[in-house]
Amino acid sequence: MRVAQPESTLTHPASLSSLEQAVQSESTGQPAWDGDQLECSQGSESAFAYMLRSVAELKNIKFALASFVVNNLRRRYRRSVLGFAWSLLNPLMTMAVMTAVFSLLWHSNPKTFGVYIFTGLLPWTFITDAITTGSQSIVQSEAFLKKVYIPKSFFPLVAVSTETANFVFSLASLVLLACVVGVPIYWTILLTPLAVALLFLFTFSISLLLSIATVYFRDLTHIIKVGLSTMFYLVPIVYRLDMVPADYRKYFLLNPLYYFIDLFRQLICNGVVPDLVHWAIPAAVAIAAFALAFYTLVRTDKDLIYRL
Amino acid sequence: MSHSIHIKNAFLKFRIYRNRAPALKEVVIGKLTRKSNTDTVTEFDALKNINLSVKAGERLGIIGLNGAGKSTLLKMIVGIYPPHQGKVVVQGKITPLIELGTGFDYELSGRENIYLNGALLGRSYQQMRRWEDEIIAFSELEEFIDLPIKYYSSGMHGKLAFSIGTIMEPEILLVDEIFATGDRHFVHKATQRMLHLFTNSRIAVLVSHNLEQIEQLCNRVIILHKGEIVSDGQPAQTINHYVNEVACLLKKQTEPAAAPQLVS
Repeated sequence: MRVAQPESTLTHPASLSSLEQAVQSESTGQPAWDGDQLECSQGSESAFAYMLRSVAELKNIKFALASFVVNNLRRRYRRSVLGFAWSLLNPLMTMAVMTAVFSLLWHSNPKTFGVYIFTGLLPWTFITDAITTGSQSIVQSEAFLKKVYIPKSFFPLVAVSTETANFVFSLASLVLLACVVGVPIYWTILLTPLAVALLFLFTFSISLLLSIATVYFRDLTHIIKVGLSTMFYLVPIVYRLDMVPADYRKYFLLNPLYYFIDLFRQLICNGVVPDLVHWAIPAAVAIAAFALAFYTLVRTDKDLIYRL
Repeated sequence: MSHSIHIKNAFLKFRIYRNRAPALKEVVIGKLTRKSNTDTVTEFDALKNINLSVKAGERLGIIGLNGAGKSTLLKMIVGIYPPHQGKVVVQGKITPLIELGTGFDYELSGRENIYLNGALLGRSYQQMRRWEDEIIAFSELEEFIDLPIKYYSSGMHGKLAFSIGTIMEPEILLVDEIFATGDRHFVHKATQRMLHLFTNSRIAVLVSHNLEQIEQLCNRVIILHKGEIVSDGQPAQTINHYVNEVACLLKKQTEPAAAPQLVS
């Protein structure tokens, strides 16, 4: 901490001077997130200024963000005997079933097709979980938002960050497992953090957008669920794109989700560094989604709390 | 930097949905069948033309009947409810003691909740680490601090919440009817701390129905009635006015309504 005080004096409950110093260091050393020049006026702020302010506010409560994510993860694994292993076992079992079914169905080699499925299925599971929990996050945090001042983007960010952490753990574990089983691993795997970052930006933006929309239309939750399970079959996850009749392939290429999943597939499964276009398309989609989400948030921010 | 709260011509409306939140299904069906949406939304003016300036050193008491808009006004100052018209400008760091224990996670231990709750109040990890022992000592929950708080009694719960919320001396203190719960000894201790915070903050705003408390602690009092500031001035006079004028209104309103209920 900024104030150079021996620990011992600070722990005395009655030492008022240390408390005062602490307060002083607080007010000078750290910008206050919940008050310093807090201004609420009608429509005077540009979208860009709003975004900068939101980022600054989120930065000031990054500790809250971290505690929420850690607590979410802890709660998820605390009460189960296998604990963290579930995050590994769950996709593994799904993957095993899918591999068995679809390699039989497509007459493929289970070992290579297994890797193919997992590189698609893991990002997909992440997208589904993040969007499902993220899109409900603002509505479910009504009690918080009405009691403390907190940026609206906080809760979608918490939801998506939690799922991202989960995604990274399961990805790492399954890559380790693949090594053990004897599946070849390529150096290109080192580039996956970039793909994770792009996918994070994209899912966060979509979650933010849908979480705002869900405030206005509560039944959207059901539509999102149906939409996501339909999308599962429209993205080449359990089949390969070259299995699709050539005439229809161009429609599959119009789906932005395809490009995100393809990144993981190229880097982990094929050991190929995707060319610039295959990086640029998901990056552009993610940035566009982010801009759209923040534009929507600026437009609705002052109204949102009254609709909860 | 001088601390201040400035509210200029602020209006605030609540929308009340009679049945439920709107559904996309209904909007789509409404558009398709070209039926106009049945209007089940009523608007309610929670705050009307609020003008208020609070300078450093002022201890402002807000009194008014239930539903007059006192809590809404506090929440507007905090930034939870932005005004529909007008302006709210606050200089200084706000410490709201509006609802203690917001964000408590019942699966987590008391210690973990200290950090979580502190984080929600805008404190950093380092600050909470420094205050952790002091909070635990004040709450008198040393034996139970590592137990999930779902096993806490409501009194213990209140003690912990109070200890976290009041650990730091605030610049701007907003208090909404905080009553410390627990045994007599703790209530006494908590009241002392509250008084300490109140006198040591630069600006303090207190919402309370306890008129004696308001008269003791505040050097300025406003009366809110149906969302408007109807009186603003010295505590003794304003409270007198409130007792004679406003509180009577309530009596007149409820008396005829209460009588038939007794018969039936």
